[in-house]
Parts: sequence; C-alpha cells; structure tokens
Amino acid sequence: MSSTSQKHKNFVAEPMADKPVTALAGIGDVLGQRLEEKGFDKAYVVLGQYLVLKKEEELFNDWLKDTCGANSKQQRDCSGCLKEWCDSFL
Amino acid sequence: MANLSEKTADELCALLDEYGVKHGPIVDSTRGLYEKKLREAMTKAKKSSPDKTYYREEEEEVVTYVTRTPVRTGPIGDSGAYMRSRPEWTEREYQNEASYSSHSRPTSDHRGRDYIDEPYTYSTPTSYKSYNLKSTPATYEDVKSPVAPLAPKSTGLVPPWFQVVFFLVVLVFLYIIFSSMESNEPMKGIE
Repeated sequence: MSSTSQKHKNFVAEPMADKPVTALAGIGDVLGQRLEEKGFDKAYVVLGQYLVLKKEEELFNDWLKDTCGANSKQQRDCSGCLKEWCDSFL
Repeated sequence: MANLSEKTADELCALLDEYGVKHGPIVDSTRGLYEKKLREAMTKAKKSSPDKTYYREEEEEVVTYVTRTPVRTGPIGDSGAYMRSRPEWTEREYQNEASYSSHSRPTSDHRGRDYIDEPYTYSTPTSYKSYNLKSTPATYEDVKSPVAPLAPKSTGLVPPWFQVVFFLVVLVFLYIIFSSMESNEPMKGIE
C-alpha cells in the first residue's frame, strides 16, 4: 500500500538523534557528500533547514535542488520523509 | 535593478512580500534561495508588462478607424452585424448601411469578428426595398475609393484582397437587384 522506501520507514520510526545526512530518504552517497561540503553533515541540520523554511515543501525542494542538485524524485522523498518525521516527533 | 545581495534581510523580506512569494526567516542558509526566487519573480513581472502595452496599441488602432465613420454620412444606420469585421470594412459598411436601411440594432455592441455572418446579413437590406435608392449610385462610387487605401490592412484571418473582391461582387449584385426592382422606369441597368 505505501509507496515509501525502507529507508523512509527506518527514518520516521524513531528520533533521528545523530544520524548522518545519508540516512534521509532520497539522499544517497553523492548527494550526501555535497550536502556535507556545504555544512549540512547531520540529518538534524537538514531538519533545521526544513523548519526554517517553515516546512514548505516547495521551498525546501527548491533549496535542496540548489544545494546538492537533487532531482524531483529525490526532493519528494526527502521532504516527505522529514514531514512525516515532524508529524510524529516534533 | 538594485543588487539583491546588498539588501538587508528586512528589505528582502519586504520585496518577497511585494511579489507574493511565500517565505520564512532570512538567515544565512536561506538567503541565497530567496534572492533567486526574487530574481525569478522580477523577470516574470517584467515579461508580462510589455504584452499589455502591445495590446493597448492594438485597441487604439481599432478606435481611430471607427471614429472616422460619423463624418462621412449623416444618420448611421445600425450595422449590428456589419460592425463585426476589421476597421477598414466597418467604414465601408457604414456607408452602405446609411443608404440602404436603418436597422434598429445597437452599433457599438457587436465588435466581434464574425465573417460567417456577413453573407447572411447582406440579404436583409433587400427586403427594405426603396429606401434610398437614388443615393446608392453615389455611395457606391464613394465606397470604392476608400477601398484602395484600406485594403492593405490585415489581421490574418482572411486575405485582404479576397475581402475586397468579395465585397465588390456583393455590392454589384445588390445594385443589380435594386435597379431591377424599379418598376416605373425601364431598367437603367448597369452603366
């Protein structure tokens, strides 16, 4: 029924603590590397950015695309993952 | 266009609100994104304004043509259906209308471009019989002169030369009908 990946399910199942940015759904090794270079080395820093953008999916997707070159599927996966995590834990 | 990167966060905030861009606080990590969004909004706003002026110019053209018509003939009969075509046609049609009939339909209302209706509406004047038949020859020749200077105008729907030819054919045809209707005098025919 759900179209989310295993990575997504793992991430939203528990508080993110110190998980690396590559733990986020949609963020693999390449994108993770690029984000770390920009200073977003942990998942919670990306969460911070998501929150500062007022949890606006469109804005966050644009930001993600500009920062690490994520394509639309990767953007959707990442923002969806963060949104669900926020719904549960924020 | 002021340099966006030199503006303060508050100024950027105000600009974003002006362009209707949804945004959060402007911090180090979000500034670049908002500057980009502002630039996009500005170029979009710039693009739409030139179109408006173009459209306005087009409207003005139509207006100038129409205002000439009252000068030509006195009582401009209603040309409800006649009005629909391009400016150069409306002028000629007005003259024919004045000589043929006085429909009581509002002139300014029908501003559309219906070429389909033209052939049908032309059959109606014939029912009005002898309205101003004597004036027809005068107006008929009068009509021919404005045709030449106005012909070149075109909006691309129907070729202008075709319109001219078609219109003249219709005029000739109607003139023949009218002249044949005169029962008192022998048919003057086509001179």
